[in-house]
Amino acid sequence: MRVAVGSRWIIVGVVLLACGGPAQAQSMLPGGMPPPPGMSLPQSAAMRFPQPVQVSALLHRDVLQPVPSQRVLGTVKSIVRNGSGTVEAVVEYGGFLGFGARPIAVPIDAMVLLGQDMEIVAYSPKQLNHFPTFSAVGTMPVPSDTIIRVGLAKPSH
Amino acid sequence: MRSPFRPDDLPEKAVLDDHRPLIRGLERRGLLRGGLSLGALAILTGCDVRQPEAVQSALLSISRFNDGVQAWLFDPNKLAPTYPASRVLKPPKFNAYYNINQVRPVNGATWRLELAGLIADRRPWTVEEIDALPQTTEIIKHICVEGWSYIGEWSGVRLSTFLRRVGADTRAKYVAFHTADDYPSSIDMASALHPQTILAVRYAGQTIADPFGYPLRLRMSVKLGYKNPKWITAIEVTNTYPGGYWESRGFSWFAGI
Amino acid sequence: MTSAVSPVPGHDGHGDDSHPGRRPTGGYVACVRGAMSMAMHSADARHTRRLHPMPIRIMHWINAFAMIVMITSGWGIYDDDVIIRGFFFPEWARLGGWAAPSLLYHFAGMWLLAVNGLCYLIYGAVTGRFRDRLLPIRVSELVETVRDTLHLRISHEDLTTYNAVQKALYIVVIVAGVSQVVTGLAIWKPVQFSGLVSLLGGFQTARVLHFAGMAVIVGFLLVHVLLSLLVPRTLWAMLTGGPRLDRSRTP
Repeated sequence: MRVAVGSRWIIVGVVLLACGGPAQAQSMLPGGMPPPPGMSLPQSAAMRFPQPVQVSALLHRDVLQPVPSQRVLGTVKSIVRNGSGTVEAVVEYGGFLGFGARPIAVPIDAMVLLGQDMEIVAYSPKQLNHFPTFSAVGTMPVPSDTIIRVGLAKPSH
Repeated sequence: MRSPFRPDDLPEKAVLDDHRPLIRGLERRGLLRGGLSLGALAILTGCDVRQPEAVQSALLSISRFNDGVQAWLFDPNKLAPTYPASRVLKPPKFNAYYNINQVRPVNGATWRLELAGLIADRRPWTVEEIDALPQTTEIIKHICVEGWSYIGEWSGVRLSTFLRRVGADTRAKYVAFHTADDYPSSIDMASALHPQTILAVRYAGQTIADPFGYPLRLRMSVKLGYKNPKWITAIEVTNTYPGGYWESRGFSWFAGI
Repeated sequence: MTSAVSPVPGHDGHGDDSHPGRRPTGGYVACVRGAMSMAMHSADARHTRRLHPMPIRIMHWINAFAMIVMITSGWGIYDDDVIIRGFFFPEWARLGGWAAPSLLYHFAGMWLLAVNGLCYLIYGAVTGRFRDRLLPIRVSELVETVRDTLHLRISHEDLTTYNAVQKALYIVVIVAGVSQVVTGLAIWKPVQFSGLVSLLGGFQTARVLHFAGMAVIVGFLLVHVLLSLLVPRTLWAMLTGGPRLDRSRTP
């Protein structure tokens, strides 16, 4: 559904339309909403009304790009806690028809729940391409019956 | 200096001329800042400004005719399929006409459900009073006009029970809803009285969370998602067509499934 | 190439009453009655039938218009929540700038498509056109014609007989059109027609079937338009009626 209120968002929308270029592949007001510059990931995640979800319910979910074409970036392989205690989703990322995908660790605060799927909203595919391949060293898997909190977004148009 | 807000691709002059009254309306509200692209204009006004007025008005007339056909097709006794609790999506899918960070949670302590129109007892209701009403649980499919769907579980008092309890005139045509997020909505009385139509206070056994309409939302099994308003603040029974947010932007009013 | 169809009594253009069983009786759409009398009248006047009688030509071009409206507005609706992730129709290909006008066009066009389509089906059945044009199909004939087409032997000297590939394609597109109406009704009214939806495998499956039917019809259109442009006499025939049929032939 479209946004049609709030002059602040209209100006944002017009600016985004004026920018054009590679961002044209993104929707005008992506459901994902990358965090405003200068805001930390946890702060931005807190603005998305995080909801409790069981870890087991996240496994195998499609991870989408927050654009109208709903391009599939990968699938959730597991949920882990890294050395600093941050919860991350290990995403089987990229590749084509099951070939060439590699696991990367994406902070859960960079992602949202979208119905039966997830989206990565804080990083573009260009940035994700440069994420290091996931290594389990220094990480702990989060038990599947654990309840964690993940932010929400509206569908991208 | 060329304004950074001015898009490269402005609409043709003919399109702008055709829609001058609409644009003047926007200008009056001070919403224009240096020109709009066609895309932004379409989104703001909610209409497809590339189509001439005559085509728009013909399409809307046919849509109204279709609403009549839909009302004729509607069987008030037909129940939507129900599903096992294991298939319920938790949490449900969020959607609104704005983004998640603009959700304005309602204060349950100060919230009141106001009643208006053809209702005998128009005293407002508190959260506790609504929660105390006899509840029924529906595990049904939510279908969005966009095309996606999911199975959800909602509990609350039947709207038919509530309307009779407050002495509403159930021969009236419309039940209208006002909400905390400025999302007016209305339905036909037949759908309001449908056995699966409830005023939902719980989702999957828990109090409905803020992004999903706390403390009260409408839940029908027989209409598309956008006909189920969240954060309800008032219910009005009326014979005057109340319209709705998306209906003003070209979507069907009956929106029956 | 002579006709493989044996003459069938009753519609030889003379308004023959000797086989009353073949006469259309009451209880069908008024448009067919009008079309029939028009066909009869013109047949009487010239003692011959054309390959494409006027009712067929009118219904064909109305159908072409209605199908374009349904397909392109359907693409606009599809884009609102894609079925194939990553597959998105560009804005210039969609009828309606966003979901709301696309839906309005779709639910307007559906009436034109359904009424015109129904008239066409009734006309084709009642006049015997389907039976004579489209049946029978032999597999050996099908294989031979496909081979010829791939070798670009598509001269198609006799427009009045459909080769096996043509017959197959026209049957496929008619079935696909009917399927689109059925799956369309299912996704329009998944509760009121919940039995139909169950039969189709559920709401999301019905959506996929509706999309697949569109893909079949678009595939047909590409082949159909391309071939008619490669053999322009066929296009001319659908505008002006085409060659006259033998007196012994049926419509």
